[in-house]
Parts: sequence; structure tokens; C-alpha cells
Amino acid sequence: MSMRLVAAELVESREILPGQWLQSYHAPTMAAGARAGQFVHVRTGDWSGLVLRRPFSFNTVDAATGTMTIHFRTIGRGTEWFTRLRPGDSIDMLGPLGRPFEVDPRSRHLLLVAGGLGMAGVRMLADEAIRDGRQVVVLFGASGVREVYPSSLLPDEVEYVVATDDGSLGHHGFVTELVADYEAWADQAFACGPAPMLRALAGLAVGRRARLGVAKLGRKRGGGRPLAIGSPQARRKAFLQVSMEQNMGCAVGACLGCVVMGVGGTPQRVCREGPVFASDEIAWEAGW
Amino acid sequence: MVSTGARQGAGAPRAVEPARTAIHGGPTGGSARESVTGGIVAISGAAAAVDLTVDLAPTRGGLVLANPILVASGTFGYGIEYGDVVEVGRLGAICCKGTTLRPRIGNPTPRVSETPGGMLNSIGLQNPGVDAVVERYAPLWATWRTPVIVNIAAESVADYAEIARRLDGVPGVAGIELNISCPNVGRGGLQFAIDESAAGAVTAAVRRATDLPLLVKLSPNVADVRPIARAIAAAGADALTAINTLSGIAVSADRRRPLLGNVFGGLSGPAVKPVALRVVYEVRQVVDIPIVAIGGVTELADVLDFLAVGAVAVQVGTAIFADPALPVRLVGQLAEAAARAGHASYRPFIGTALPAKPGVPSAKGVEYRP
Repeated sequence: MSMRLVAAELVESREILPGQWLQSYHAPTMAAGARAGQFVHVRTGDWSGLVLRRPFSFNTVDAATGTMTIHFRTIGRGTEWFTRLRPGDSIDMLGPLGRPFEVDPRSRHLLLVAGGLGMAGVRMLADEAIRDGRQVVVLFGASGVREVYPSSLLPDEVEYVVATDDGSLGHHGFVTELVADYEAWADQAFACGPAPMLRALAGLAVGRRARLGVAKLGRKRGGGRPLAIGSPQARRKAFLQVSMEQNMGCAVGACLGCVVMGVGGTPQRVCREGPVFASDEIAWEAGW
Repeated sequence: MVSTGARQGAGAPRAVEPARTAIHGGPTGGSARESVTGGIVAISGAAAAVDLTVDLAPTRGGLVLANPILVASGTFGYGIEYGDVVEVGRLGAICCKGTTLRPRIGNPTPRVSETPGGMLNSIGLQNPGVDAVVERYAPLWATWRTPVIVNIAAESVADYAEIARRLDGVPGVAGIELNISCPNVGRGGLQFAIDESAAGAVTAAVRRATDLPLLVKLSPNVADVRPIARAIAAAGADALTAINTLSGIAVSADRRRPLLGNVFGGLSGPAVKPVALRVVYEVRQVVDIPIVAIGGVTELADVLDFLAVGAVAVQVGTAIFADPALPVRLVGQLAEAAARAGHASYRPFIGTALPAKPGVPSAKGVEYRP
């Protein structure tokens, strides 16, 4: 579905964690066309010096009611402006934007890894997977118990495993340390969070086959030919897909502000080729 | 994804068409959509009769635009990225992303940062190179009613001339805009834009390389822009674009280090508008060629301000990111403003704020200027 510019009406707004908000908007065209991993670019109504829109992942969508939710942290004047909206207020929304997560039809077990606000990037995929009858484990990492995403906001069918930096809830340590227990079980993994977390996960994904003793048998058709960066096939084939973040200007691919370095040495636009990439499409050590 | 630019068949480049066949910006039948910004503006009544055409290369067979609202280089990609959200066929012209002789990967990230009333960017001219631009985009541009002006950048006079040569005669390329805010590698990294002899030399070299209409984009990062503007006009430029971004930096709040990957960035948006107005005002008084103003246009009032200080057209840049429908909306609003004032064209708005005698200081006290 091509992107549209629509007026989205606020239905509900609440603070689910300190400084973190969940807002529901009535935007039928967005809710109908969106897939997990995509995002919207939203204009703030505070025009006193704010000149850029704010990108938000589709957190959940409900096609039946024509609503979608966004989950964000207040980090400045722009995001704070959204928290002052009241039900009935309208915002200017551009979307759906970017490329979605690609689930292989044969995948039964999906591992979702989220760091902090990264939950907003993978949350919708949990809904889609459960709807399609797949099993989902969500590994979640945060600094402490006060930052842990409430389990009540996840579907009941999801297995939810938490790690905190200070050990105040769940595993004491990084969320990446939980992956070992699930990498054999998972058919595919999907992650969103801070860059160091994604880099660590990408490193784990590289060594996974060797650790599991998986042999590459035979030659698949088209085997050996590299897939085009950003192609749905490249994402579907990779064990790990990551949702990347970058400062954004236009969000439609026109300004080249939001790139990450691709393995071929060509910068890739997070808004257009991404925000979801196969983890082996990103040049993690490029220093970008 | 195909743009909504209205087809005129496999047309010749707009630049060589005489003025009388210039197509006026009428509705192109964009798809109806719910839009908070009122993207579709039906120009009706007296406004529809207002003449918005403008010639940016009057001495060279003309670069006639249907209206004086352009979109700025670097903010509108190659004209296709905004898809159905912007009716490309209603724009006066498109300046495409800065194009270099060879592909460039651009600067490390972060590349953009919001600032009070504006933004900094340090994209670093990421582009696939002139040959790829000609191959990938020009055939599509040739089918559009809207002229596409290719913005070019290089680090040597020879490279500028070579890019221009490769664009000369290409169907779909209506003109060239020189971005001279690049370091001149032959002269120790000094920008072409801050040195009148370098600016004149590069303009002359491109002028010799192509018959395409030629716009040259002035940098505000100079003590006195007037000699540079004079040199560029004398070297054969058809029009000037003023201004490019102002050099600035930002500091990362959490790391307390320069925020942008390349440290330095270009400031754009409403914050730079007064500077842009001042530069257009100064330059208008020392050159006769048309000036296309750019810098912080976010509403009709800004367009009228730039016309008042002598510009004949404006480019919308940063504002597109927040309000993609703005440029098309401005076309309708400008026609309505002219109709309301009882004008048959928008030209009476031009130059009203200039001093009665060019060059004579109009201020009554100390002039605050660089």
C-alpha cells in the first residue's frame, strides 16, 4: 500500500511507564495497510521552532476498529507535545512507511528481542504471529524493574522473559545473554533496541549455525547468488531481522539523512530500504 | 512507485519550448485522499486567471516555469520519493539531489539534527553519480510537465564542466543548478562559493560546457556576497539561487561531543530566513539576472517577503519534511493573493521592499551587515 497523509484522531492516551506513553489513534487507512515493522512520520502541533516530524513504529493495529497505537518516550519538546493531546484531537500522520518484518511461511517459532523502547518496534509482530498460529517468545531487556514493559500489554499466548541491568527483575544482566537458551528453538529472530544490543545479536546470529551443528545440505535454487539489500527475500532468509533507528528528516527516502552502512559499502536508507534489515545486510563495524 | 506528474507524452525537454506553450499549473487529477493539510487546492475564479509563469533564463531561449514555486535540492530526492502525497505536476520546478561526477557514499551518521527553528544536515552529497542519474531518472523526467533542474557539485572546475557536458542535451534535464559550496581541492579546500574568481571560473567553465539554463547557488557563509554574485552573473549564469545553508554545529546532549558524524552541518529552515532575505536584498541591487530565493519558506507570507526583496521565484526545502503538501498549496495561495490584490500576475509583488535607488543605503543609521 502506498503512503498517505491523513488526519488521525486521538482515542486514548496513557502513561504506561515513567515517561513512556501509549497512545491510540483512529486512522483507518493506516490500520488497514500497515504491517509489523513499518512506521508513521507524525507532525507535531508545536510549530514554535520544531521543523521535523517524529517517526513512530506501528506498535499495534486493530483493523476492525480502524485504530493503531504508538509507544514512545518523552525525550524533548516534540514528544512532550503529544502527551498533552486530548481524545478527539487530530494529528497529521504520514504512512505507512518503510519495509516490514518478513516471516517465512514455514516458521513455527519466533524469537522477539526488545531493548527498552525497542518493544515498540517488535510488539506488532507478536500480534501478527499469534494470529497466524505461531509460537512467540519475547526477550526483553531494561535498566531496572521500573522500566519493564508490563506483561499485561502483551498477548496471553506470548512467553515473556525479562532481563534487567540491575537484577531488580528477571535475569541479572543483558537481554542478549538470554538468547542462547532459545536460539535452537527459534526458526527466526526479530530485534529492536539500542545499537550495541543489535550489534551483539547480529554477532550471535553469525555463529548460530556452527553452534547448532546445522549443515547446509544441497544447493537451493538461486543459492550462492547474493540477494539485493532491502529485498523481502533477503530478510526472510536471514535468521535475524533488526529494526534500525537513525535521526530522520523526510522519512520517504528523499533526503538521505537516516542511513546505515550496508555490507556492500553503500549507505542504506533506514526509512526506505529499512527500518527492518536482515542482520547480515548491515556493516556493523563500519563505525556509522 | 510512479509519480503523479502529468504526462505530456514523450516530450522534449521543457527548456527548449517557447514561452507561449508553457503549460499553466492546473489540477492534474490527483487521487482524492483524506488529508489534514488540504493537499488538493483547486484554483478557481479570478485566481485561475492569474499569470504565475516565470522565465528563469530570459536571455537564453528561456526556462519557463508554470509558477514560481520550486522544491529545493536535497529535500525532494529525484521527484519520485513522495509518490502520491505530492502532486509533482503542480510544482514550478524540481531541483534534484546534488549530483557529482562519480558516486559518493556521503558522510558518517548522524546526518541530521533538529535545531531551534531549523535543522542541521551533513548528508555529504550521497548520490549515485551523474551517469546513473541520467540513466535512472531523466527518462521519467522527460515525461513530466514539471521541469527538473539538476543540482551539481564537484571539487574541481574540470569536474563541474564534465558533469554539465554529460547533462547537456539529455531529454528530461531542463537546467542546471551549481552547488558551489564544495571545497575546491585544487586550491587547498577553499570553497568555490567564498572566492569571486573561483566562483566566476567555475560558472564560466560550465557555461562553455552546456547550453542548458544555468542557476548558481550562493553561499551565505561569506563576508560580502555581492562581488561573488557579480562575478557569477558576469560569467554567464542565467539566474542565482540564494541561499545555501549556513555552516553550523551541534553538540550531543548525552555524549557532550559534536553530534553530527561530520561535525559541521548546514543550517536550514525558518531560522535562516532573515539571512536569506538580506542576501537576496543585497544581491538584487548588484545583478540583473533573476534570483530564486530559498531559506525558511513555510507559508505564503514568506513567499511574499522574498518577492518583496526582489526574488522572482522561491524554493521550498526544509518545510517539505513537515508539510509535503506545502509547495503545491503555495501555488494556489499565491494566485489567490494576486487576484485579491487585483493583479493579473504575481509580478507586482516583486521588488516592493527594495530601496528607491539601487545601492543607496536605505537605513537611517548604522547598517548592521557583514
